[in-house]
Amino acid sequence: MKSRLPVLVAFISGALMILAFFGRGTVVDAVSDRALTWQTIVGGFSLLLGAVSIARVHWKKVATKHEDRLYSLCLLICFIVMGGSGVINGIGSGTLFDTLFQRIQAPMMSTMFSVLAFFIASAAYRAFRARSVSSAILLVAAVLVMLGRIPMGQYIYHGLPSWADWIMTVPSMAVQRGILIGAALGAASMSLRIILGIERTYLGRG
Amino acid sequence: MHGTAAMDVSGKSFWERLQSVDRRILYTLIFASVIIPILWPLHLPTPVTPESRAFFNAVDSLPSGSVVLFPFDFWPSTLPETEPMAVAGLRHCFRKNLRVVGLSNVGMGGPSIADRLLDSIGSEFHKTYGVDYVNLGYKANYSAVLLGMGSKIADIYPADHRGTRLDSIPLMRQVPNYDSVKFVLIVSDNAMTDYWVALVNARYGLPMVAGVTAIMAPKMLSYIQSHQLLGLLGGMKGAAEYEQLIDHSDKASRGMDAQSLIHFLIIAFIILGNFGFFMLRREQSQKGQN
Repeated sequence: MKSRLPVLVAFISGALMILAFFGRGTVVDAVSDRALTWQTIVGGFSLLLGAVSIARVHWKKVATKHEDRLYSLCLLICFIVMGGSGVINGIGSGTLFDTLFQRIQAPMMSTMFSVLAFFIASAAYRAFRARSVSSAILLVAAVLVMLGRIPMGQYIYHGLPSWADWIMTVPSMAVQRGILIGAALGAASMSLRIILGIERTYLGRG
Repeated sequence: MHGTAAMDVSGKSFWERLQSVDRRILYTLIFASVIIPILWPLHLPTPVTPESRAFFNAVDSLPSGSVVLFPFDFWPSTLPETEPMAVAGLRHCFRKNLRVVGLSNVGMGGPSIADRLLDSIGSEFHKTYGVDYVNLGYKANYSAVLLGMGSKIADIYPADHRGTRLDSIPLMRQVPNYDSVKFVLIVSDNAMTDYWVALVNARYGLPMVAGVTAIMAPKMLSYIQSHQLLGLLGGMKGAAEYEQLIDHSDKASRGMDAQSLIHFLIIAFIILGNFGFFMLRREQSQKGQN
């Protein structure tokens, strides 16, 4: 019963969603709507679970004097200040939470992401070598796309933007489509395996 | 520099040194490439791609008063790329007197960014919150949110981001579900665009366009070919093109100068490194023959 019940719930939920997709306005659709509302509530609780879990992990590091305890302490302080200000004053415009987010967190995250430009440039210069035919093809394609995607490209050669577009919309897209179809087929087969109870790893067993 | 290239104190030949320029020099040049165009803009023209033009045309053809769903599905880390798209999109919508329903499937920061941009661009066009635009905020579990709004938005979002009940908001009283929505304008830096296409376009047939980061654009082009997306803005370049189309140059247009120089610099260094690599290989093979 311990394993049958979750499998049954998975089967009913999955089958319900598939049927609802094709039967808009039917009873199945109405039932699936109710299930979707429950799903958002469960989603809220899973966020809470995540928050509690991260707080526990880092509190443990501080309590056991782990070598990274300062980072954990910093995380816990930020966690309490951000979470506390949101719970006490709300998260709307002009609140402490919003100010902390707009003035500190958002610029810090943008900065971290921007720093990547330096590393990418350095890595591209050091690693991008035409050591074989395939890497030479990749190198030429990358240079053409990079040049074709910037305004300066058309000054070098007016046909560069259209060459870059061709690379993006024909060979690159053919590969992308293949990956998309492959991933979709994989997701569909995995979903079917879960719905039919063949795949049970989500129950916590191999 | 012919034959055996000159050696430096570290014992490296000239061709080897060409392949290992100190990263501090590279970083300084990149820093200069970003700063110089900001201080002295180059005003390089950006040619408009068909995808960006299709994006513009799709929004431009909407009748005045139409309701546009505007997901702000991006993290603060990609703001330099995504914010210009969202700003230009909002400007275009408000200029056309379209009514905007903002929301976010990114919990960390999405709703706050949406609030800030909706309020600042809304005030630029003298729009009123609750009448011309609204911010629904964030709800966990995107698949349930995207599908659930098709039946009843108030079931998923009982209140907006500011805590006002949806039935007290004049705009939302007229928008019970997707049937009242004319169009979806997605700005995203993650897989949410795929879910909007797969769950909302496929099931409810809502027309949509997307502004995504440059790294995501090649994948999204396949949705353009299948007509599941009507238009696409790819990265800062896409945003700059859109700014050009709505005739309002802003951050993206300025950023394109810097991006141009950086791309150029990276390409120059890649060519330099490869030149050194080939010359060294040639030198080594000549040595081997001797």
